[in-house]
Amino acid sequence: MTWLTVAKKDFRDAVQSRALWALVAVFVIVSVLSSFAYVEAPELFGEPDGATFGGLLFFTAGIASLFVPIAAIVVCYKSVAGERELGSIKLLCSLPTTRADVFAGKVLGRAAVLGFGLGVGLIVGLGFGAVMLGALDVVAAITFLLVTLAFVAVYATIVVGLSATTGSTSRATTLALGFFVVFELLWDAVVLGILYVAGGFSMPNPATMPEWAFTVSQIPPSAAYFSSIVALLPDLASRANAEPAQAGTEASAAGGEPFFASPEIGFVVLACWLVLPLVVGYVRFDAADL
Amino acid sequence: MAAIETRGLTKRFGDVVAVSDLDLVVEEGEIFGFLGPNGAGKSTTIDILLDFIRPTSGTVTVLGHDAQSEGRAVRQRTGVLPDAYHVYDRLTGRQHVEFALEMKGVEEDPVALLDRVNVADAADRKAGGYSKGMRQRLILAMALVGDPDLLVLDEPSTGLDPNGAREMREIIREENARGTTIFFSSHIMEQVEAVCDRVAIIDRGELVAVDTIDGLRDATETGETLYVSVAELDEGVREAVAGLDGVGSAAIDDGQLRLTIAGDSKFAVLESVDEIAAVQDFSVIESSLEDLFVRYTTETQEVDA
Repeated sequence: MTWLTVAKKDFRDAVQSRALWALVAVFVIVSVLSSFAYVEAPELFGEPDGATFGGLLFFTAGIASLFVPIAAIVVCYKSVAGERELGSIKLLCSLPTTRADVFAGKVLGRAAVLGFGLGVGLIVGLGFGAVMLGALDVVAAITFLLVTLAFVAVYATIVVGLSATTGSTSRATTLALGFFVVFELLWDAVVLGILYVAGGFSMPNPATMPEWAFTVSQIPPSAAYFSSIVALLPDLASRANAEPAQAGTEASAAGGEPFFASPEIGFVVLACWLVLPLVVGYVRFDAADL
Repeated sequence: MAAIETRGLTKRFGDVVAVSDLDLVVEEGEIFGFLGPNGAGKSTTIDILLDFIRPTSGTVTVLGHDAQSEGRAVRQRTGVLPDAYHVYDRLTGRQHVEFALEMKGVEEDPVALLDRVNVADAADRKAGGYSKGMRQRLILAMALVGDPDLLVLDEPSTGLDPNGAREMREIIREENARGTTIFFSSHIMEQVEAVCDRVAIIDRGELVAVDTIDGLRDATETGETLYVSVAELDEGVREAVAGLDGVGSAAIDDGQLRLTIAGDSKFAVLESVDEIAAVQDFSVIESSLEDLFVRYTTETQEVDA
C-alpha cells in the first residue's frame, strides 16, 4: 500500500506548486470566457440555430482536448525525471517500497492533482454557461465530466510514463513535447502521409477514403476522448453537429459502420494509452540506476 | 549473521569500473567506517546495498536478505542517509518525517524524532528553506524512524559544522549502543577514527584494507615516527642509526633524523642514537589515520603506475 502513501505525498507536494495554481487560474478564465463566447455568439462556432447546453459541452470538449495535454505536460513532465535529477528519489527509494509502488504512486498523485485542478475549472466554466443559458442537462454534464477526468488520467499517465523513462528533465521535456507535437498537432499530416504511401504515392481522394483511415485518425488521445464523448452522448452529438470527424480527418463515421470505424473505438484507444505508458514507464524505471 | 555481506561485487558504468570484485563483511552490532577518496566507489557500493543501482555481477546480502530481490525487506529494517539527496522543498520537516513513518508503517512522534537531531523548532517550516546542516539532520531523523537494525550513512557529516559533526557522532554511538549496526562512509579521517570499530579503505573500486584502526597502524609500520636532533648529522650517522635494533627506517628530514620505530621502546632507540651522535632534542608523532589513508591510497597508485 505504499503507492497510496507516495501518491498522497506527491499530491501534497505538487498542490503547493505555483505553476499548478497559475494553470488552474488560466483554465478557469479560459473556461468561463469560452462559455461566455459560445453562449453570446454561437453562430461563430458553427451553431446558427442558437446555443444549447449540449453544444456547450462539445465546445468545451474541444477546448479541453487542447488544454489537458498542455496542463499534463506542465504538471507531470518532471514527476519522475525531476526527482531523479535532483536526488529526492533517493529519499523515496530508501524507504521500504518498490519501484512499482513509487511509479504507481506518482501516476496516481499527478492524475489527482491534474484532475482536481481541471475539474474545478470545468465545473466553474460549465456552471457559468448553464446559468447564462438557463439550461442544464445534469446527466450529460456528469458524463462529460467523468470522461474528461478519465482523459486527464490518461494524459497524466502518458506524461508520467515518459518522465519515468529518463533521469534527465531536459530529455523528459523533449519527450513530452515531442509526443504533443506528433500526436496532437501534426497527426492530421501523419494520417495524410500514411494514406499517401498506402495509396501508391498519390494524394488520397476524400470520396474514396478507406475505413481504416478513420481508425488511424483516432489514435491521438484527444481524438479518442472526443469520440468517447460522442459515443456516450450520441443525441447531443448529432444535434450539435459534433461528429468525431471534427477531431480527425475528413473520414465520415456513417451509420452501420464496423466497430473500428465507430466512435466507440475511442474507449479502446484511451485504454491503450493508459496501459502502454504504464508498461513502458515501469519497465524503464525498474531497470534504471537511480 | 553478518549485517552486510558482499561477494565479488562489481559495477561497471560503460567502460568505467566503479566497484571491482568487492568482498566485504560487516558484522552485526559494529560501527564500520567505509573510507576512500572521492570517486573511489563508496557511494556506488552503498547505492547497490539499497538497490538504487544494480550490480554488474556479484551478490549483496543485507540483514540476511538479498539486496536486489528483497530490497523492500532490507529497507524496512534500515535507516538511510543517502549521498547527493534533495529534500522536498515544499514539504515541512514534520511532513518529511510523517511520510517516512507512514512508509515504514510505524507510529512514533515526529517531533520527538526531530528533537533528537535538534531541528524540532523548524518542524513546521518548509524544508526548502533549511540550511544544509538542517537538511542533513532532517534526513537523519527520517533514517531513525522505526528504530532500524542498520543505519547506512553516506558522508553523514557533510554540511555540518564541528558541533553538528560531534552531535552526529553522539547519535551514531547512541544508536550503536541500542544494538544498531552502523555503516558509514567518509573521506574525513577524524570522523572515522573517533567512532569506528573497524574500517575498510576502498580506492578506485578496490578494497585495499579492512582492519581495526590499530591494526591498520601496525600493518603499515607508520605507527610512530621519532624526530631526533643530533649534534652532528651526516650520511654516516644516518647509516649507523638505520642499523640499530628497533629502528624500522631512518632518513634525514630538514636537518633532523626521522626514524620509524619497529619495536616498542622509543627510549632504548634514543639511548642507542645518543651513543652514535649526541641527542639534543626529539619529538614523537603518532600518525593519524589521514597518514595511513594517504599511504594506502597512494601506494596503490604507485603500483598501478
